[in-house]
Amino acid sequence: MSGVVLYAALIAFGFLTGGAAGLLGVGGGIMMVPFLTLVAGVSQHAAQATSLLVVLPTAVVASITLQRKGVGDLPLALRFGLVGAVGGVAGALLALMLPGHALRIIFALFLGVVGVRLVRDGIALE
Amino acid sequence: MTDRSPSTVVLEPSVSSPASRRGRLTRELAAIGGAGGVLSGLLGVGGGVIMVPLLVLRAGYRQRDAHAISLGAIIPISFASVLTYGIAGEVRAGYALALALGSVFGARVGAGLLARIRERPLKIVFGVFLVAVAVLLLFK
Repeated sequence: MSGVVLYAALIAFGFLTGGAAGLLGVGGGIMMVPFLTLVAGVSQHAAQATSLLVVLPTAVVASITLQRKGVGDLPLALRFGLVGAVGGVAGALLALMLPGHALRIIFALFLGVVGVRLVRDGIALE
Repeated sequence: MTDRSPSTVVLEPSVSSPASRRGRLTRELAAIGGAGGVLSGLLGVGGGVIMVPLLVLRAGYRQRDAHAISLGAIIPISFASVLTYGIAGEVRAGYALALALGSVFGARVGAGLLARIRERPLKIVFGVFLVAVAVLLLFK
């Protein structure tokens, strides 16, 4: 992909990812990393580091937008996230000692079950 | 498995009123934050995919509030990650800038939609997203 086209695609994909992240309450790395590796031809490590730089401003802008609209509780969320950041460091250290492949499969199954349950709950709502 | 009895409606907003605990980082919330952080560090996925289900299914938050809290929590979490390996890692600054340029506008649109969308479609959309992530992880 030529330079200009690639950058245009990155901006457009960024818009889609940001929109999905703001709606779904996630960072968007899960969408950006595959795009960076498959379309932009970036290595896995570089893609993860690069996507982190995008997740931060995305979450800031989404949070400010929600705060203005009176949704959620940003001061609480920030303190909640601080605990999460500490946990993240612990998790990264643990990852070096545990078999990653088995964990990922267990986690994927967990997400699948939760996802199906949420869809079911959503359908049951009226 | 086709039961759609009122039992599933237990997850309705009435279970808890986040407003009543506004501002308080309860022990349960701290545990969810910590667990979300550990799992995301362990598995290399973002915290939101873990925190949102825990906030909804464990802490009884409404889907919308869970998404908003998750987004706020991602700020310190991703900040810490940027400090630990974002800077040290081989960042493609130009690509990051282009993606961020699009994504900050997208984030406004998405967050605006989150503020308006009803509980039902939001739950379904998020559930489908989780299943997609699960499939992605299995075939990674």
